[in-house]
Amino acid sequence: MKKIFIIFITVLLMLWPVAAFAHGVDINYQTKTAVEIVAKFDTGQPVSGAQVIVYAPDNPTEPWVTGKADENGRYIFTPDPSKPGTWDVQVRLAGHGGVVHVPVGGDNTAASGSTGYGTIQIVVMSACVIWGFIGTALYFGRRKS
Amino acid sequence: MHIPDGILPATVCLGGYATAGAATWYALRKINHQGNPREGIPRASLLTAAFLVASWIHIPIPPASVHLVLNGLLGAVLGYFAMPAILIGLFFQAVLFQHGGLTTLGVNATVMGVTALLAHQIFQLRKVLGASSRTALAVCGFLAGAGGIALAAAAVFTILFSTIPAHLDVQTERAGIYALTLAHVPLAVIEGIFTAMLVLFLQKVKPEVLED
Repeated sequence: MKKIFIIFITVLLMLWPVAAFAHGVDINYQTKTAVEIVAKFDTGQPVSGAQVIVYAPDNPTEPWVTGKADENGRYIFTPDPSKPGTWDVQVRLAGHGGVVHVPVGGDNTAASGSTGYGTIQIVVMSACVIWGFIGTALYFGRRKS
Repeated sequence: MHIPDGILPATVCLGGYATAGAATWYALRKINHQGNPREGIPRASLLTAAFLVASWIHIPIPPASVHLVLNGLLGAVLGYFAMPAILIGLFFQAVLFQHGGLTTLGVNATVMGVTALLAHQIFQLRKVLGASSRTALAVCGFLAGAGGIALAAAAVFTILFSTIPAHLDVQTERAGIYALTLAHVPLAVIEGIFTAMLVLFLQKVKPEVLED
């Protein structure tokens, strides 16, 4: 009887670790494309702590996700790949900000993009507009012959 | 100071267009009643160009950075021409620099244009205080320049404060609006001094510019 008891205890101890390691972990992975937003004022300063509102293509009125940009004006989100189209991302801080349209999915996906014009474009356009005002002033300010 | 697209609800944007349209109509009507409306166009054109460029001049006022607006100055020097001048200037600022937006053009024109007209009325007080007094001219010039910015900042504060969407962090947005509004107090002083200096200069070299 004592022998049977010892064998029973021995078998039980042998089974114990098996029970402990029976919790297997199944790890799966899939790659997803994230979108990084970097918001800066036109002075070059980052829009630190700006509120970011992301709208999915299928519902442009209800925010899909909201968050805050970091101190560098950076915010990253992962759009739902099952919702291809143009995702609208609004960045807002104290009534300042803007909206950027991010094409996601299909052949529309763009590697990068931004709002606004380049510096040279702005300078040339501004020079044209300012000359237009000066020309107007000269035209109406000319002396009658 | 320039409210961009996507910040305000559609009803406010439409209301802004209505008030801007009414203010522009009123200003043009007043201009038409002047002896020769074309006389004011060269001055208005040049100051519209100055207004356009002013938004490039940034003044760092920690923690924010603000830019010159010159709505009070335009009101003081241009009178009723300030309204169409600001409306045209804002249109080009929105298209060229993304300062403001096309949907909010009416709101921004109301905020800056109507306050410019009020600044013009403030500047007219110099006639009560003494038309020939350089002190009265400087004081009224300062009050017009500073008052234009202060009133516009108060208007923007009211509009933004009352239209914060529910899905935003309201406390954060309010704190930002407070900070931005306070940052315009030093700017009001700067523009007030600048306006006073300009009207004193104009009074010295070309006084007819300041006459209605």
